[in-house]
Amino acid sequence: MLIRGIKSKPVYTPLAPDLGGRTHLLVGFGVGAEPLTRLMADCTLAGVTKASRRLLYVTDKSASMAMHEMMRHADAGEVQLFKDSASLLSEFETILKASIMGTRLYVAGPEAFMGLVMRIAARFNLNRDEIRAEECGSPARRVHCIHCRAATEDVTTNIVQCVDCQRWLVVRDHYSRRLAAYMGVMIDAEVPGELPPIEEVFV
Amino acid sequence: MSHSHTFAVTVTAITQVTPLIKHFVLKAADGAQMPSFSGGSHVVVVMKGATRVYRNPYSLLSSPNDLSAYEIAVRRADQSRGGSVFMHDHVTVGMTLQIAHPVNLFQLDKLALKHVLFAGGVGITAIAAQLEDLKMGAVPYELHYSVRAPDHAAFADRLLARHGDRVRIYHDSAEHRIDIEGLVAAQPLGTHVYVCGPTPMIGRVLASARAAGWAESHIHWEQFSAPPVGDPFDVFLKKSNVKVSVLPDQSLLEAIEDAGVDAPYLCRGGVCGECKCRVLEVDGVLVHNDHYLSPEEKASGTLIMPCVSRAHGKNLVLDL
Ligand code: FES
Repeated sequence: MLIRGIKSKPVYTPLAPDLGGRTHLLVGFGVGAEPLTRLMADCTLAGVTKASRRLLYVTDKSASMAMHEMMRHADAGEVQLFKDSASLLSEFETILKASIMGTRLYVAGPEAFMGLVMRIAARFNLNRDEIRAEECGSPARRVHCIHCRAATEDVTTNIVQCVDCQRWLVVRDHYSRRLAAYMGVMIDAEVPGELPPIEEVFV
Repeated sequence: MSHSHTFAVTVTAITQVTPLIKHFVLKAADGAQMPSFSGGSHVVVVMKGATRVYRNPYSLLSSPNDLSAYEIAVRRADQSRGGSVFMHDHVTVGMTLQIAHPVNLFQLDKLALKHVLFAGGVGITAIAAQLEDLKMGAVPYELHYSVRAPDHAAFADRLLARHGDRVRIYHDSAEHRIDIEGLVAAQPLGTHVYVCGPTPMIGRVLASARAAGWAESHIHWEQFSAPPVGDPFDVFLKKSNVKVSVLPDQSLLEAIEDAGVDAPYLCRGGVCGECKCRVLEVDGVLVHNDHYLSPEEKASGTLIMPCVSRAHGKNLVLDL
């Protein structure tokens, strides 16, 4: 019943400096610290100045305290740490509003976080050749209920109860960039309450 | 696309806009509406001269919202192989011409948040219809148009009347040049740049945008090269099994067409890639004049763009 094979899941590759850019905006979440640290070192090697780099980072518990400290002192012209994605995203949007052409975006973190960053980037018409993204951390999904349109966060199971309308949803592989979420479709419409086994699949 | 896809149009008006530029209004010969198009499109005009057929691409500069007629502007190029001279000297009001359906190789980006356009001289013809599309939308745009005063005053006045302060006219002189570097250096995210004009202008816009860190997906340009005149040479078309002689003032594509072989094309200016053809044998050198093939492909000697490129030497065999 899990509908597989709809390959709209985005594909990400390891981060590397884009020397064509003039301003480099690095955005990360939790374990994303590791690829971003590597990227900053590569930037220095490639001659990208520290002043041209700006870092936004969510100190999520998926990374250690030591990692958080490392990011606080990261090798970038400006560093901003955030408690959660929501506050990072709002600052990110403010920065993009004031940014000019020549900016490159680098994103590292779990897929659900990246989807939210990409959705804002798309609003500013940042294209594929201006964004690099590396997925790391939890494969938990953000699920969009196609019935009530609410988003359920951090879903690790094949079937989940919608946070808002409480319907039981099967999590599909169909990903929407616009919604930054996977589609969740009611599963027990025929016989209410009759559910297949619930399994941890996105871990 | 080939000449079998053309349709007949009647020339309904001709205006001499500048000493070198003539403006033509074309209507469908059967009185029907013209096919719809988007800003930045061009048509290939087929001209039957006394001794040969010319096929030249011209940008549509009329509004995409008015399909009662197409308008094109032709700059007379005495050095060229005769297409523009034919349009200037032999085309009269009431005459019928064949044109191909419009093709757009210079499209506006639909997701752009701002458009900055640069035009120089007759390059404005590729941009004029784009401005009409932009006028209908809500996305900000600005045109920086460089003219050799007072040559193109006619176009400039028309643009100023339609677009007001979104258009800035520069008289191309040392004191009054477009500050291209300054303009591309500080554009908001999501801006797209477009340029059509003389080669040095296109070069400056591309170089400035890249220097300011613009990604390629935001940079758009159109530059049709006219096929240059060259030495005559022979070519053998293997699949069609015909031998063709290419005259000095004829392009390889035109010679192939004259021999009755249907070869693909869209732009006839070395940019779209549609006419790309495999070279099976060559004894001599290929003279590449296109903007399409990579330097490696050109050096390989295995590909040629017949719309603008030629060969030097005894033997050339193409996979056509
Ligand atoms: S027809 Fe476009 S490159 Fe030759």
